[in-house]
Amino acid sequence: MATNAVVTQTSGESVIKKLLQTIPGILLLAVVGYAGKFIEQFIGRYGKAHHVTLPNIEYVLWAILIGLLIANTIGVPRLFRAGVATYDFWLKVGIVLLGARFLLGDIRHLGGISLLLVLLELALALSLMTLLGRIFNLKPKLATLLAVGSSICGVSAIIATQGAIDADEEDSSYAIAAILAVGAVSLFLFPLIGHAIHLSDHAYGLWAGLGIDNTAEATAAGALYSDAAGKLAVLAKGTRNAFIGFIVLGYAIYWASKGQAKVLENKAKFLWQKFPKFVLGFLLVSALASTAFFAKPQVAVLGNLSRWAFC
Amino acid sequence: MSAEISTKKNWFTTISLDAWAVTLALLLALLVRLGVISKVAW
Repeated sequence: MATNAVVTQTSGESVIKKLLQTIPGILLLAVVGYAGKFIEQFIGRYGKAHHVTLPNIEYVLWAILIGLLIANTIGVPRLFRAGVATYDFWLKVGIVLLGARFLLGDIRHLGGISLLLVLLELALALSLMTLLGRIFNLKPKLATLLAVGSSICGVSAIIATQGAIDADEEDSSYAIAAILAVGAVSLFLFPLIGHAIHLSDHAYGLWAGLGIDNTAEATAAGALYSDAAGKLAVLAKGTRNAFIGFIVLGYAIYWASKGQAKVLENKAKFLWQKFPKFVLGFLLVSALASTAFFAKPQVAVLGNLSRWAFC
Repeated sequence: MSAEISTKKNWFTTISLDAWAVTLALLLALLVRLGVISKVAW
């Protein structure tokens, strides 16, 4: 009994010690994430001050680039390693909280034909990206990330799916960079084409909301055309975003079921073991937010908490 | 005896990372809902 007590105390101490060891690394993650945010804001402010339209490169990509730079030059110092290794945990916390920003109610606000177009866009983008992935021999998980990024929405959907299908960080960096690069080009091209072919505000807004993958860039491209087009672009984009739960869940089940041939007799158990359970947390928070469980400012707070967790 | 020791030693890791992450996220969401956390800037 006495031995047990000693062991328990030691294990308690070691847990606390381990937790304390992670603090420097967690602080480093926060600093790198905030540096990404700082760069994003700096570029935005520079563009505004000099009246130039600069692509909105989100903090996540800057943070990834800073991380890559540190890891490939000086390396992660020993002191920070334990904390840096916890990034997967924070990523998952962030994904669950991200659920608050995807409201099923957004689907209702869009009219019948527009909603049909959103569904068509989702189906086309998912199948086309999967097909292109096969043609160009991309890694299947990278193709999945690109498909989700181009059908739903850029960065957030890619991060959520990366966690759900356990893809490499390298793949998600490629996918995020590709989506943002296409978005940056669209930001300049969409208004030009829209004006050239005299699209109505409604048609242009819908086009921008469906065609541009990153929410910030879709919003900006819509607003560059007109206020009315901007509002519709946001609505169409919001509707695409609302489908994220279904798509992530679908891909999570698909990848969890991969390689199940050996254990067919216990398919459900195998699927449950491999299934990333935190996706259920994401769906729960999304469902709660959709039923107005959180007030609007509270949704904004959850969104900010999610961004902090992602950094 | 040794089994007991190893269970006690690993109590923290017996709960999966996913479960810890969801627990923390839901706790944060609850604190936001209750108004305990009300201002988070980003």
